Amino acid sequence: MARDKIYQEEEFPTPLMQLWHNFKEPPVVMIGFGCFLFLIVLAVLATIITPYSSVENHLDHLLLPPAWSDDGNVSFLLGTDNLGRDMLSRLIHGTSLTFGLSIIVVMASLAIGVIIGSLSALTTGIKSSFLNHFLDVILSIPSLLLAIIIVAILGPGLENTVWAIIMVLIPQFVHITRNAVKEEFAKDYVLASRLDGASSLRILRYSIFPNIIEKLISQATLAQSAAILDIAALGFLGLGAPIPMPEWGAMLANGIELFYIAPWTVYLPGLAILFSVIATNLVGEGMRHALKVRKES
Amino acid sequence: MNLIDIRNLSIELQTSTKPILAVDRVNLTMKEGEVRGLVGESGSGKSLLAQAIVGVLDEKWKVDADRFHWRGNDLMRLSAEERKAIISKDVAMIFQEPMACLDPTTTIGEQLEEAVDVEQLTGFFWQKRQQRKLAAITLLHKVGIKQHEICVKSFPHQLTDALCQRVMIAMALARRPMLLIADEPTAAMESTNQGQIFRLLASLNQLKNMSILLISHDLENVTHWTNSITVMYSGQFVEAGTTEQIFNQPYHPYTRALVDSSPRANRTIPNKSRLMTLPGSIPILQHLPIGCRLGPRCPRAQQKCVHAPKIKNFHSHQVSCHFPLKDSYS
Amino acid sequence: MSHVLLQVINLSKTYKDKNYWFNRKCVAALDPVSFDIMAHKTLAIVGETGSGKSTLARLLVGAELPTTGHIRLNGETFTPGDFKQRCQHVRMIFQDSGTTLNPSLTIEQLLDEPLQLNTDLDELERHQLIRETLKKVGLLAEHMSFYPHMFSGGQKQRISLARAIILKPQVIILDEALASLDPSLRSQMINLLLDLQQQMGLAFILISHNLGIVRHFSDEMMVLCNGKVLEFGKTAEILQKPKHKYTKKLIMSQRFQL
Repeated sequence: MARDKIYQEEEFPTPLMQLWHNFKEPPVVMIGFGCFLFLIVLAVLATIITPYSSVENHLDHLLLPPAWSDDGNVSFLLGTDNLGRDMLSRLIHGTSLTFGLSIIVVMASLAIGVIIGSLSALTTGIKSSFLNHFLDVILSIPSLLLAIIIVAILGPGLENTVWAIIMVLIPQFVHITRNAVKEEFAKDYVLASRLDGASSLRILRYSIFPNIIEKLISQATLAQSAAILDIAALGFLGLGAPIPMPEWGAMLANGIELFYIAPWTVYLPGLAILFSVIATNLVGEGMRHALKVRKES
Repeated sequence: MNLIDIRNLSIELQTSTKPILAVDRVNLTMKEGEVRGLVGESGSGKSLLAQAIVGVLDEKWKVDADRFHWRGNDLMRLSAEERKAIISKDVAMIFQEPMACLDPTTTIGEQLEEAVDVEQLTGFFWQKRQQRKLAAITLLHKVGIKQHEICVKSFPHQLTDALCQRVMIAMALARRPMLLIADEPTAAMESTNQGQIFRLLASLNQLKNMSILLISHDLENVTHWTNSITVMYSGQFVEAGTTEQIFNQPYHPYTRALVDSSPRANRTIPNKSRLMTLPGSIPILQHLPIGCRLGPRCPRAQQKCVHAPKIKNFHSHQVSCHFPLKDSYS
Repeated sequence: MSHVLLQVINLSKTYKDKNYWFNRKCVAALDPVSFDIMAHKTLAIVGETGSGKSTLARLLVGAELPTTGHIRLNGETFTPGDFKQRCQHVRMIFQDSGTTLNPSLTIEQLLDEPLQLNTDLDELERHQLIRETLKKVGLLAEHMSFYPHMFSGGQKQRISLARAIILKPQVIILDEALASLDPSLRSQMINLLLDLQQQMGLAFILISHNLGIVRHFSDEMMVLCNGKVLEFGKTAEILQKPKHKYTKKLIMSQRFQL
């Protein structure tokens, strides 16, 4: 006969698991996280799951309203735009453009910012100050304006938009990394590692990065919502993705002239942008809340 | 008449699994003008007890007592807010790290003026501002800070720890309390400064007949400045009595172990020999032993110790143990 | 039985005040000091904050470079800045047990690091050594897979002690390591340190301002004030007949009678 567990077994989770438990707690955060994962899945599987291609013109179904209104057709679930392209397919492809590119942009600027920030924290004196502040001039210019200037210099196109936004997001990561690393250096276990003869790289990898990664991630989610809005805004201005590409901002710009006769061509991309920004913000809030709760306990 | 009379106070923590009894049936009595020490190591619940008396615990702690009398009034019948109102008029508290307890963005003078009791100011409203300043300066003089001009204009980080603690005591004195609870006031200080603070507290006790409840984890330090001592272990009441009784003839094995680990007892043993200690360590909240919580570590523990011991009283020396050490002294 | 283990010759440290560009002010944190330490003996360094005792500890363990002087162990001089050479012989235990252990590593990984960097043992031998060391400090071998936040303050100090002795050093510096512990845990830790001193022939340098511990635990004593050595000699002699006014004041304030 199996013995019942008389003693309550105590769970001792690792710091990461603790963070996950705290993160899971508020239901709103889990909903946001679910939406976030849903968007990632859409972005990755865009070409496979869309019913039609995003540029295919169905000339006999121009400006069809969404399927729930009287004139709608269920084979075009969210209607079509003025060139007969299916809105649903365009929106899903747009996920991989706007949302997917925003993730790539944030990861790239995170990587570059962390490298510069770590170098700045490891050195002292003028070299450190220079590394810390030379990108601050970028912080003083509003990000959208800077992106417009860069695109004006390099020419319009999705690639240049991506470079512009990466450049705009780097300085905040430099600052956060440098401050976090400097704070960690003051702790005794880093000194103990150094006294054991560890090289600077080893100290960074084992002693410092695991402890600052959460701060970086919460900053990254903040940066991502800014990145989504910037990509969409540049697309809206016509400086980002070229016209046939189904980027949400470009779709908005396309639909503006038709607003009175076909409002769905405007509000559908708008809702998509809203949805992705809210999901990102909820995840970021949840992460910050979990960090705070873990620090208090 | 007893100033404060607490019997069987328990504080329960509501957790997700089951409620934990952080403080288990503790008694505390204090007379007017008495300096009492409350000694216990970390995890003994002494700070919780002090906070429960003043009434600043959150909702997750449930406080319950058989008797909680303040100057003869029964406080358990009142609601929590009424209790707090009565207590906060006459009880003040000072804490461990004084610099962290002061607002770092305003000067000391402004903070003292905030603490001054409004009822003690008389006169029209335009005179009150001047009176407030005077009251703040009087408070600083009471705690022994003669050059008040520099002190009033400076920020907390510009003063030393000892001065900050004096300022905290001054703020606590503003409402003329009858009881001052000092929660480890000198834990983070050098020994010369500790002496200053304790002397100040002793002089306040003598001049104003103010009772002091001195909470500390260092038994020997406390014995120089107190009339009577209560010892707690892991949330349970262990022993209470006058200072001489506790230090010279401890009845409980835990108090005996505390006395043995103090420098005065170790004076006589040879250099670099092993010290007398209790084996094991303090139980954590999630795994509290049943009955007498010293049981797993006590050298005199027997089967009976699984049940909580009753309090025995020998000439106002109370001890909560099934097998007190009384016989080894007689 | 006891031979001179560590020799400190003319060690001093001055800081240049960074606030001034021209006419830089030099702050002498520690004036030149020389002393010897024997095996199986404990030296206590007593002083208030700002007296230079932490600076001396950091100079001895190699965390800071000395302005003048050098340190010799068994005749070999230490090269300043060369940690690998020094860490096999001189180790340090810090005061605040909360920040001495990396919160995201298990105890095994924590104790593995100095072994990986300084010895040539393979994985099995390292594992075995970690088990033995944990047993020596009074913890169980199963504690290897726990994280630091699961331990109490006293246990964290034992883990710091394990990290210090795992490389079998000759000198261990205790930088106020016992100050933050409760009295009963402090007594246990002192017993443990005394046992280890007997077994391994260690020399301890105890930095403390608690004269009770100093009297019980140390053989020789040094009193520092503002970077200068006021007294140096056998503990019992200094505590019975203090020569300097500062020492007298210190003894009086702790109401210490011998």
